[in-house]
Amino acid sequence: MTPLETALLVLLAPLGSAALITLFLGRRPALASAMSVAAAALVAVGALWLAFGGARFSGGFEWLRFGSFAVGLGIKYNDLAALMLGVVGIIGLCVHVFSLGYMRDDSAKSRYFGGLSIFMFSMIGIVLADNLFMMFIFWELVGFSSYFLINHWNARKSASDAAKKAFIVNRVGDFGFLLGIILCYWANGTVSLSALEAGRAAPGLAYSRLIPLLLFCGAVGKSAQMPLQVWLPDAMEGPTPVSALIHAATMVAAGIYMLCRINVLMVPPAMSVIAWVGTATALYAALCAVTQRDIKKVLAYSTLSQLGYMVAAFGLGSVGAAMFHLTTHAFFKALLFLGSGSVIVACHHEQDIFRMGGLRGRMPLTFWTFTVAVAAIVGLPGLAGFFSKDAILVLAYEKNPAVFAVLAFTAILTAFYMLRLWKIVFLGAPRSEAAGHAGEGGISLTAPLVLLAALSAVGGYTGLYPRAFEGVFSLIPEAEGATRVIILVTSLVVLVAGAGTALAFYATDGSDSLDRRSPSVFGFLSSLRTSFDAAYDYYVEKVQQRAAMVLNFLDIVVLAGAVVRGLAGAAEVVGFGARALHTGRLSTYVYWFLGGVAVLWAFAAGVL
Amino acid sequence: MTPHLEAYVMLSAALFAVGFLGVLVRRNTLVIYMCLELMLVAATLALVAFSRFNGTEDGDVFVFFILTVAAAEVAVGLAIIVALFRARQTVQVDKLDSLKR
Repeated sequence: MTPLETALLVLLAPLGSAALITLFLGRRPALASAMSVAAAALVAVGALWLAFGGARFSGGFEWLRFGSFAVGLGIKYNDLAALMLGVVGIIGLCVHVFSLGYMRDDSAKSRYFGGLSIFMFSMIGIVLADNLFMMFIFWELVGFSSYFLINHWNARKSASDAAKKAFIVNRVGDFGFLLGIILCYWANGTVSLSALEAGRAAPGLAYSRLIPLLLFCGAVGKSAQMPLQVWLPDAMEGPTPVSALIHAATMVAAGIYMLCRINVLMVPPAMSVIAWVGTATALYAALCAVTQRDIKKVLAYSTLSQLGYMVAAFGLGSVGAAMFHLTTHAFFKALLFLGSGSVIVACHHEQDIFRMGGLRGRMPLTFWTFTVAVAAIVGLPGLAGFFSKDAILVLAYEKNPAVFAVLAFTAILTAFYMLRLWKIVFLGAPRSEAAGHAGEGGISLTAPLVLLAALSAVGGYTGLYPRAFEGVFSLIPEAEGATRVIILVTSLVVLVAGAGTALAFYATDGSDSLDRRSPSVFGFLSSLRTSFDAAYDYYVEKVQQRAAMVLNFLDIVVLAGAVVRGLAGAAEVVGFGARALHTGRLSTYVYWFLGGVAVLWAFAAGVL
Repeated sequence: MTPHLEAYVMLSAALFAVGFLGVLVRRNTLVIYMCLELMLVAATLALVAFSRFNGTEDGDVFVFFILTVAAAEVAVGLAIIVALFRARQTVQVDKLDSLKR
């Protein structure tokens, strides 16, 4: 099999699985889940085979042509795509296997696994796409899959609301993305990634800074950057494996991946905007995470914050640092989510961390893997997060001290809220009936945890990847850990400060210590979290709704009333008059005949 | 004294007007038909008068044609009226309004 055929197989296997499940296996959940997992396994094997096989290629064909405008479909497989495809494949397989256990008793298992498969197809499409139009198509498909899976428990109003919110907020970003693609086509005459790279087209034009910013809008929506971050915490209404796969490791990282793919279009002013958006998101989300009670929402805000790091790293000019952190983050954040899923199952779908506690002894495997993930995300030296976060901090230190300061402070917060979560969930005594009887799930729940824990532990050593991702990892500043003392000291101080404060500050007595000791700070952080939703609610209710009412009024009066009803009325009047002429009486027609003769005569006589 | 051309034309016009008025106001198809014939006769009279006045035969020839056509028309028209009466049991035009309905 040639590499191109393998890539096609990897792309189309999940689509086939989704189609078969949807069409034939709706009532055979066991077969459906087996097929979906098999497709995911095929993807993982194919992705790793391609990545380590060393083949890098591109190819495609023309799909549609309108005059001089052509839309192509094709695959561009370089080191960047290889890395992303590997991440998607590994995390995808772990999540599929975990889902077997997590969704065992679900009544709509077939639908769930069909959704996972269609998501895998869409995500791989984004990774492999060789032009922006194709990427946009799959971009919308992942949006749909995300909607579909958030909405899995659609009998719950909060789930269907969250799904709609995710979809609509993404539409806002995607609109900018589409405008950016069109502008890019207009300016450069092509949207093919290879052609753009080869041409490095149209630098210095007035709109050359508009194109990257518009394309960045897509990333803002999909990667949930400020100000469109509101959908991601709500998206936690979906099943936990979905949160791990889509809303932590892969789909939300697609925004960063897309930015890295279009790196050639970037110009310095746009880059600085991107860097600051990422930095602001990182700080904001970390502040929000401190007050959350829901285990998944803590992780959701943590995801936002880490995505902010990646966007900032890209904005500071390093594709390598952004993708490196994306990779390590995918491992440890998927692990955190799957660990939380394991906890949630064990506690009978209890998500409030203050009703857990004492799980350390009852769920040792989950506890230790979760601990590895927490250590990785807070940047404990030697684990994956340490290397990738330090790469970003080194970069920020060199390029922009202000960004460096904010990101370092955010790192303190990261350590703080992660250790808070860890301590409250696992230490102390059980604070609810369910937590007291918690225990480890089956092999399908624990095996993915162990695999991901291993990857979280060693994923940061770039030397382990045998030159397969050289094109990306050679771009990382100081990949083997910071050599500069100041960075090393900073990251250690940050870690000790954040983690130590959290461990000392929070008690495991079932109430939020921050709320008890300093209600004003707690209140401020809570209001920070709700401020965006409140602002959007205000806008929708007071501005958009009123504008819609005015437009509706105009529609009723002008369009429906004057134009539509008016035209119909005119036709009716004419018809009414014409009908009056047609009496059916002979004499009437004779009169008309007489009138006609008179007119004809007058015409002939020159009177008319 | 022989009548002037004007008198013939006036008579012809009067006959035509009577026929036309009859077509307009009468309700019985048979009467309307007779009025139509009256209008044809008025035209014939005018043609004969003009022919005599001009001393040519043109008008007379025309009259023969008109008489021939009128005879044929009467044959067909009366047949239609008879058929109509058989179908509808009436020849009153205000009852014959199925075109409208």
